[in-house]
Parts: sequence; C-alpha cells; structure tokens
Amino acid sequence: MSRNAISRLGDNPSDDICPVCKSNRYLNPSLQFLINPECYHKMCSTCVDRIFTSGPASCPVPRCGKTLRKRGFHKAFFADLKIEREVDVRKRVGAVFNRRQDEFETLLDWNNYLEEVEGLVFDIVEGDAKTRAQAEEKLKAYKEANSGEIEMNTRLGLEEGELEKRREKAEREAARQRRLAALKEEEEEKADLLKNRKEVLDRLATEDGDANAIAMQAQKVILKKSSARRNLADTQMETNKSAMDSGLTIRGLKKKEAPVVEKPYDPFGGVDLTPSRYVLQESYDSEWLGNAKRDMRHMAGGYSLQEYYARTMFEAFSGLGVFIEDEVADRGQPAPPAVGTTPAVGAIASGEEPQSKPKPQYKMESDDVF
Amino acid sequence: MKFNIGDLPVLFPYPRIYPEQYAYMCDLKKTLDAGGHCVLEMPSGTGKTVSLLSLIVAYQQYYPEHRKLIYCSRTMSEIEKALAELKALMKYREEQLGYKEDFRGLGLTSRKNLCLHPSVKREKSGAVVDARCRSLTAGFVKEKKARGEDVPVCIYHDNLDLLEPHNLIPNGVWTLDGIMRYGEEHKQCPYFTSRRMMSFCNVIIYSYHYLLDPKIAERVSKELSKDCIVVFDEAHNIDNVCIEALSTDITEDSLRKATRGAQNLERKIAEMKDSDADKLKTEYAKLVEGLRDADEAREEDAFMSNPALPDDLLKEAVPGNIRRAEHFVAFLKRFVEYLKTRMKVRQVISETPPSFLAHLKEYTFIEKKPLRFCAERLTSLVRTLELTNIEDYQPLQEVATFATLVATYEKGFLLILEPYESDTAEVPNPVLHFTCLDAAIAIKPVFDRFSSVIITSGTISPLEMYPKMLGFTTVVQESYSMTLARRSFLPMIVTRGSDQVAISSGFQVRNEPSVVRNYGNLLTEFSKLTPDGMVVFFPSYLYMESIISMWQGMGILDEVWKYKLILVETPDAQETSVALETYRTACCNGRGAILLCVARGKVSEGIDFDHQYGRTVLCIGVPFQYTESRILKARLEFLRETYRIRENDFLSFDAMRHAAQCLGRVLRGKDDYGIMVLADRRFLKKRNQLPKWINQALLDSEVNLSTDMAVGSAKKFLKGMAQPFKPRDQEGISTWSIRDLENFKEKQEEESIRQLREAQTAGAGVVDQHMEGVRNGNEETVTRGDEYGFDDDELEASMMELDGH
Ligand code: SF4
Ligand SMILES: [Zn+2]
Ligand SMILES: [Zn+2]
Repeated sequence: MSRNAISRLGDNPSDDICPVCKSNRYLNPSLQFLINPECYHKMCSTCVDRIFTSGPASCPVPRCGKTLRKRGFHKAFFADLKIEREVDVRKRVGAVFNRRQDEFETLLDWNNYLEEVEGLVFDIVEGDAKTRAQAEEKLKAYKEANSGEIEMNTRLGLEEGELEKRREKAEREAARQRRLAALKEEEEEKADLLKNRKEVLDRLATEDGDANAIAMQAQKVILKKSSARRNLADTQMETNKSAMDSGLTIRGLKKKEAPVVEKPYDPFGGVDLTPSRYVLQESYDSEWLGNAKRDMRHMAGGYSLQEYYARTMFEAFSGLGVFIEDEVADRGQPAPPAVGTTPAVGAIASGEEPQSKPKPQYKMESDDVF
Repeated sequence: MKFNIGDLPVLFPYPRIYPEQYAYMCDLKKTLDAGGHCVLEMPSGTGKTVSLLSLIVAYQQYYPEHRKLIYCSRTMSEIEKALAELKALMKYREEQLGYKEDFRGLGLTSRKNLCLHPSVKREKSGAVVDARCRSLTAGFVKEKKARGEDVPVCIYHDNLDLLEPHNLIPNGVWTLDGIMRYGEEHKQCPYFTSRRMMSFCNVIIYSYHYLLDPKIAERVSKELSKDCIVVFDEAHNIDNVCIEALSTDITEDSLRKATRGAQNLERKIAEMKDSDADKLKTEYAKLVEGLRDADEAREEDAFMSNPALPDDLLKEAVPGNIRRAEHFVAFLKRFVEYLKTRMKVRQVISETPPSFLAHLKEYTFIEKKPLRFCAERLTSLVRTLELTNIEDYQPLQEVATFATLVATYEKGFLLILEPYESDTAEVPNPVLHFTCLDAAIAIKPVFDRFSSVIITSGTISPLEMYPKMLGFTTVVQESYSMTLARRSFLPMIVTRGSDQVAISSGFQVRNEPSVVRNYGNLLTEFSKLTPDGMVVFFPSYLYMESIISMWQGMGILDEVWKYKLILVETPDAQETSVALETYRTACCNGRGAILLCVARGKVSEGIDFDHQYGRTVLCIGVPFQYTESRILKARLEFLRETYRIRENDFLSFDAMRHAAQCLGRVLRGKDDYGIMVLADRRFLKKRNQLPKWINQALLDSEVNLSTDMAVGSAKKFLKGMAQPFKPRDQEGISTWSIRDLENFKEKQEEESIRQLREAQTAGAGVVDQHMEGVRNGNEETVTRGDEYGFDDDELEASMMELDGH
C-alpha cells in the first residue's frame, strides 16, 4: 500500500510542488493548487493570494505573462490540466452547438454533425494558433447565425435535466419508503412472535390441555399471520411498483402523444366527401332557376336549391377521375392485398362496382357527395 | 442395459441402474419433450453425469431433430471426466447397436490448457497465452506473411487452413487429452480445432463462461442454434458465476496503465497516419456504415472480447464523435482522467449507473451513447492498427468494457467506490467496483435463446430459489432422495459440547474459550474414532487461523497429533495442492490425516474425498458470508426489492448451500460411507434447507446432540459399516437390474391403470381421497414451516453477527 503511495509520487512529482514558490505538500499538507482558465498554469493558493490580491497581475510562470485576475482562479477538476482545458473548451462549444438528434433527418446526418463539432473542438484544443483562430471564428459565426435555435435547445436541455432530476428523486424516495416498510414489517413480525410466545406460556401455565397441542396451535397462528402479512406486503409492493412505473415514464411521456380521443362514428370510414375538383358556390346564376328561386310554391315544399346545385355539379364532374381502360387492366391482376375497408366503402358510396377494387388514390378523386 | 422411457429407447452403459437415475432420466425426458427449463437435484455419487448423457444422447439420436447438447461444467477436471463418460457411453452404444453412429463430441477449455506451440504453451498466465497466441494468429499477421514479410506465425494454427473447414477432426468423442495427442500428431492446434468444429458437433462440453460471460459468449457460442439442449452441471453457484461475469473492478493502477495504453495508441495512430493512412481511412469508412459491417471482417478472435451489446445497437453506426481514431483516443483519455479524479475521493460512494452517467456528463461532456460503443470501437481500432503486443492494452480494454457496461445497463448494477481496503487502513488504495446485482441479467440470453436449459447439481436446495433469482420458469423441479440398502452415511447435528455448553461460530461467542475448547474436543474425539481421512471445514480463513492458534494454546492440536497428521488449506493454490497430496498419501498408508479447510475455499468445491480419503466431514460453524461487505449488502437489498427475497432467507440459503457442498464431498458413490457432522447450534433451525437426500437421512434423534452422544452414534455407525456388505444386498433396492426395472415399470403401469379404473367407478370418491392427500401434504409443510417461523428472531439475531470475521 505504501508502495502505492510512493509510486504515485514518483509518477508525477510535479503534482505536489508549487511551480512558483516551490513549497511542497510534505512541508505544507494543506497545500492547494489553483488554476486560471486564461493560461492553465498551476500555482498554490498562497501564491495566488500573494500575487493577485492587489489587482490584476501577469502570470508568474516564465514566458507566460498573461494578465490574470484573482477572480478567475479555481480548483482544477482534473489532475491532467490539458484535459481540464479541453473540457472547458467543450463547455463553450457545447453551449453553442447544442443541436439535438431529433432535429436531423437521418442518423447519418446526426453523426456527421457530431463529427464536425468534434473536429472543431479538436482544432481549438490541439491546433496551432492559426487553426485555432479559424475555429474560434467559425464558432462565433455559428453562434450569431443561430442564436434563436441555440437558446431554444438550451432551454429544452435544461428542462430535460430538470425532469431527469425529479425522476431520480422520486425513485430514491420510493426506495426509501420501501426500505422503511420492510423494516417495519420485520419489527411487527418480531413483536408478534414475542407476544404469541408469551400467550402460549400463559396458556400452558393456566390451562391444562395437552402441552403439545397448545404449542402446535400457537405455531399455526403465527404462520398464518406471517403469511397473511407477506401477502399484504406483496400486494402493496404491486401497487408501489405501478406507482413507481408511472414515475419512471415521465421521461418518455414528453414524446408520447396524448391518448387519442375516440372520434364520433364515421360511416364513410374516413373518406373525405368535400369535392376536390370544384368549389360549391352559394348560388349560381341560371335563367331558368330564377323563377324557382322566387316562387313560393316551389320553395314551400322544402325544395332546396343548394341540394340541387350539389347534385348537378356532382353529376357533371363524377366521371372525371375514372379511367375505364386502367381499371380494366387492373382487374386482371391480383387484387392489392389488405386494401382495408376504407376504399371498399368509398367504392360502394361512389356507386362503382365494389369488385373493381379502386386504388386508394381513386377514392380521393371520386367527388361523391352521397 | 437397454430399456425404454416412453417411446424412447435408452442405452445405459452399466448392467445396473439406480432407481433415482431412472427417475432422473424420466424427468429429463419430460423436460425435453415439453421444451422448457428444469432444476433437478440429484444426490452426489449417484451417477448424475452418466444418466444425463445417456438420456440426452439417446434423445438426440432417436428423434429426427438431433438436438445438440451443450454441457457446461465448472472445472477442467470435470470437463475431462464428462468427456470420458461420454466416450465410454458411445463405445457401449456402438457395441450394442452393432454400428458406429455419426457422432462427434468435443470439449473446449482455455488456450492455456490446449496450446501446443512450444514457447507459448510454457507461459504461466492464461492471459499471456491468449495474448501471445493472438499476436501469432491474427488476420493481418497472415496477410503480412502472404505478402512475403517475415513475421512469426503459429504453424499449428496455419495447418488448420489446409484442412476441410467442417472436418478438422474425425468423428468420435475426443477427450481433452485425446485431442491434444491428435493435434500433436497432425500438427494442428487443438484449441482452434475445437472452436471451429463447435457447429459440427453433437455434444460440446465446456466451461460455464463460454455461455454466461457475454464477453466470451458472443465469440464462442453465437452459432449455436435455438433447439440446443443446455445443461449446467454443478450449478449451485450459478448465480455467483453470472454476477462475476458482468462485474469489474477498477484500481488506480489499472487506470494508470490505461492512460499509458491510450498514449501508445495515440502514438501508433500518428505513425500510421504517416505511413499507411489508407488503413485508417478504410476503417473510418466502415464505421460510417455501421459496426456490424466492420464486424464481418472480424476474425474469430481478433482482440479481447467485448461485452454484449443489444442487437439493435450493434446494427447502428458508431456515433460521429468517436468515429475518427484520434477523436476516440481523446475520448478515452478524458474518460480515464475522469475516473482518476473520482478515485481521489476519500469516502465510500455508491451510486447507480444513471447518476454516474449524469455526473460524468456534467464534468466531461461525455454522452451515454458513445460510451456504449466504447469497447467495440476500441477493438476495431486495435485491429486497424495491427497491434501485436495486445497485453499492453488490456487495462485500457477493461476500462472500455466498463464504459460499455455502465452505459448499457441502468438497472441491476451499482458502482461502489471504496477508498480504503479495510475500515482500519490508513493509506488509501481505492477500488471502484462495478458490481452486477442481478444474476438474471447474464443468464437471460441463455434462457431466451435456448428452449431447454437444465440446471442440476448434487446440492441445489431450496429448488425454488434458483428460478426466482435467475428469472425463469421451470417445467420440472425435482429433488431426488437416495435409495440405500443400508444407511451408508450418518448426518448429525451437534449443538453442545459434552459439558452441555452450546457451540456456535456466532460472532459473540466464537472466541469464548469454552466454545473453542468444545470444538477442540469434538475434533479430538472424531480424530480418534475416524478411520483414515477426515476433513474439517471452517466458515473463513480468519476464523480458522484464530481457532487453530487457540487450540494450539490449549494443547488440543498436540492431542490430535497423536492420531492423525494435520494439514491446512491456505489461500495459495500451490501450497494447498501440496497439502492435498500429503493428505492423500497419509490416508492411503493407513495413518490417516486431518485436512483443515474453508467452506468457501477451493477444497470445498470440486475436490472429492471418496472412500478412505474422507470418512468424516466436520463442519465447524455455519458458513455465512461476510455480511459487512458493501457489495453483499447492495445485493441483498436488490434481492429484497426486486425478487422479494429477504436478507436472512438469502444469507441462510447461501450458507446452507455451502455447508451442503462440504458435506457432499465425502460421499461419492453408493458403496462409499461417511459421517457428516454439522457442529453449530444454529444448524438445528436450518435443517430443512439441506438437500432432501441429506435431510431424509438425518434422524430426529440425531439433530440435537452433544459431543459424547455424537461420538456414541458415530461408533455404532462405523461398527455397522465394518460388517461385510455384498453388492448382492443392494440389488432390487438401491440398484436395479433390467429385471427390477421391468418389474417397477409394470407395477407403475398397474398402479396407473388401477387408479384410472377406480376413478371411473368411484368418480367423486377418488377425487376426495386425492384432495385429502393434498391437504395432508399441506399440513406437513405447514408444521415444518412453523418450526422455522418460531425461531425467526433468534435466527435474525444470530445472522446479523459478523460471521465472516
Ligand atoms: S494457435 Fe494454438 S498452438 Fe498456436 S499459439 Fe495459439 S493456442 Fe497455441
Ligand atoms: Zn506557491
Ligand atoms: Zn500562465
């Protein structure tokens, strides 16, 4: 074990010595290293206090000279500062390139996008000054061009994270409850057992039945109780589980559509009856209808001009979508499988022979009103 | 002998059969006919393997489907034994049938056992043999050779390519030894011969891992068809094997090596970019298409194996951000650095995979999806780079495997970070355990894929525990009792010393001098009366050490020494095998010896003490697991929450299956005899958890003995055993000739006819009677369960003691 500690030391001695003031961890166990994401040079917290308390100063590491502020210093998460820097870059890039997979048509597009972003990160992290500048430029341009979408995706991401957190919390809570329940159950069982035993002893002392019989009976009582309790617990478990399940699906819920409300019965099976080749007008100018419109005697019986228009127009257009030659040719071929009832209904409604099996698109074109 | 079960003619290679063997075969056939799974407990030493093989081979040869048999065992010696049995069986069949059947049976074990290469086979570690073999046999090595470059290859492997691929070895049954000899003669590699012939075999016998470890199973077992018959023999520990197959441990050291591996990869990529950029480009193009396509080019064993990915994932293309080699290596480095940082924490942390992933994402921007592809991607990269010193990348591969697993499974796993080795340690030595809690995960593909899975062992009680833990349903669940012409083994439970002080290995009392002395007396007494060998099991090494040193102080060992040699098992395998050797010699030359060992050690599993090698087995204390282990605790909690198995039930079950294993060690056949002593007060209440065949032989008068009473019983028993016992005495009772079998079947038929007739005449009456029987049966179980219920509190109290210490 100690060997381990030593080898760790030997691995990377700079881990424990401040490069600025050269104090090391053995003399000062509370030594703490800080970095500034401006240049990622590491130094101990004492040095930071000493150099930067009185305002911005340049980095004490030789040949660096960047101007740093105390505010910018923080503890590094990674021991490898290169990785620390890379992750910081990723954070920056990730905040801008935050597209989501469902925004892409195909998986390949998504993957290509991912690779491109990765390449950009790489340019910033590993590239020389020129490529880095180019990449930064790209980043900025993209940011300006897509600010709206970026914002939306950020919000979506946050929401998702929130949901996730809530779900986790609920789960933990459920687990805690179950644990408590199990504990309680055990306690109860134990208490029961004790009570029963006492009862048996009492009975043995007062009654004078067969001792074995009494003991036997008592045992049976206990067993029944415990099995009953277990059954109860099982059912509770079931209900718990279903509750837990519903908690679990929160994440999926977002994408799932609300259950479809049952629609009123449609006798035409979804065939759209509004004419598509013409638009039915309110009224048409027609010489010989003029009289009928005005004549009380015609209208009194409930004669509706609209009805008349509709039928006339339908009759005029009804043959237009039908090509006899095509249908005859079709008939010779095996019927298309599983056309379903919809076209059949359509066919009947349009007064065609049902066995002609109109193709689905035909049905759309038959502008039948009845 | 030859007989029929239903319409199936069975050839059994012995002139006599045990009644339980017949029953076992009937149930096996029932399972196979129904096409379901079963759990069967067959007493040890009653010829389980041979019954299994003869039935299944008969089944295979008789019905037109010719279902293949996959027989899984634990150790190499068990595999070899089964192969020998199979060979004898096939020889017998040939003699009886008068012709040779078209049949091939092969065994498979690791390269280390099967390698013939003069220098590779001399390596000590299996991993090194694997790695060196791979570097000699990888596809690109062959390509290079074909191009005329001078690269080392393995001639044994290359010779295989000259043979017909479906006929690398003639028909017949090949024992491991046999195939080694054949390989040596024909200069062909036995390991690859076996591997490649897998799909042209009628019977395959190999280790559990080839089926359960998803990392291996994917490679070795994927071509096996659905109607194979899968047998897990000695399966009482199968849940632990499943769990180990999916668990990994990561240490600081392995992370350091992983970093080095990643740096090497980086360098290699740069080199390849300069010299042979096309290769990287082709790989890249393949990855754009999807992993499976890249997979087509995969050789039989290119790199280390990967954990199984769900099928839909495999068909998907590699995520874009790890498609390029350099991106992927950076990705790995980031992940490794993250793990290193996590390891610096100085308190115990346990978290679920989702919360681990959330944290990981927050700090490193690593998403779940590329993480899942990690292992496959690394394999592909290593292949592209044509790396030969593969063992250098093992730690990196481990990390990648871990990444894939953690991103693939949300439930049933837990990450536990333990910064210190023990509670008292000062110097941190952190280990990140990624532990699987659910045994059902690893075995699920097996149950899903194969229609008949048979789980069997000598001690697999309580039977219903296994379907529960492993998540499957059975068509047959059966435990057989042992038919004996005389009482050939004597199980006893000793609860007190001669001075009436209760004995127990429970935590509070285990170090009390009175208890230790009583155990010592027990040992002394039995060492006096036992002829030849005697085996003693302790719950743990720690306890064994402390009790031995106390015995030394009390002068007990000196006393024992007068009667027997004393040998001790140690965690070191080498030392233990020397001890075993000495023990056997001592047993054979008449003086006899005592072997002190541990109930969960190597000796308790897989080493037989038949005949003079073991006349008494003494189980000191209940072999509970060390309950303070965090991993065990997590598993207990998982079992309770998911399968409704209570902690105590599981701990007690686990302890008893190990105890039963220990007891079973001394009785390896019907002509064998031995004494089994369970020495702990607490065994009294756990009696019902023993396998049926042991429990049945345990008389009520022998469950609560003191040392002197036990000694009396043992003496009487041994006197009985010393009487001459002719094989003829067994006939018709514990062994059947073909006549006896016929008689039995006749009687059975008569019985069923009678019942049918009665049912017809008396109608309702019979039903009533039947119901009565059922009710009676219930009554029995109720009362039996009661004893258990009554003691629950004590049980709990004793269980929570730190037994493993
Ligand atoms: S191919 Fe066979 S013989 Fe050759 S090194 Fe590998 S295991 Fe050994
Ligand atoms: Zn400093
Ligand atoms: Zn600097």
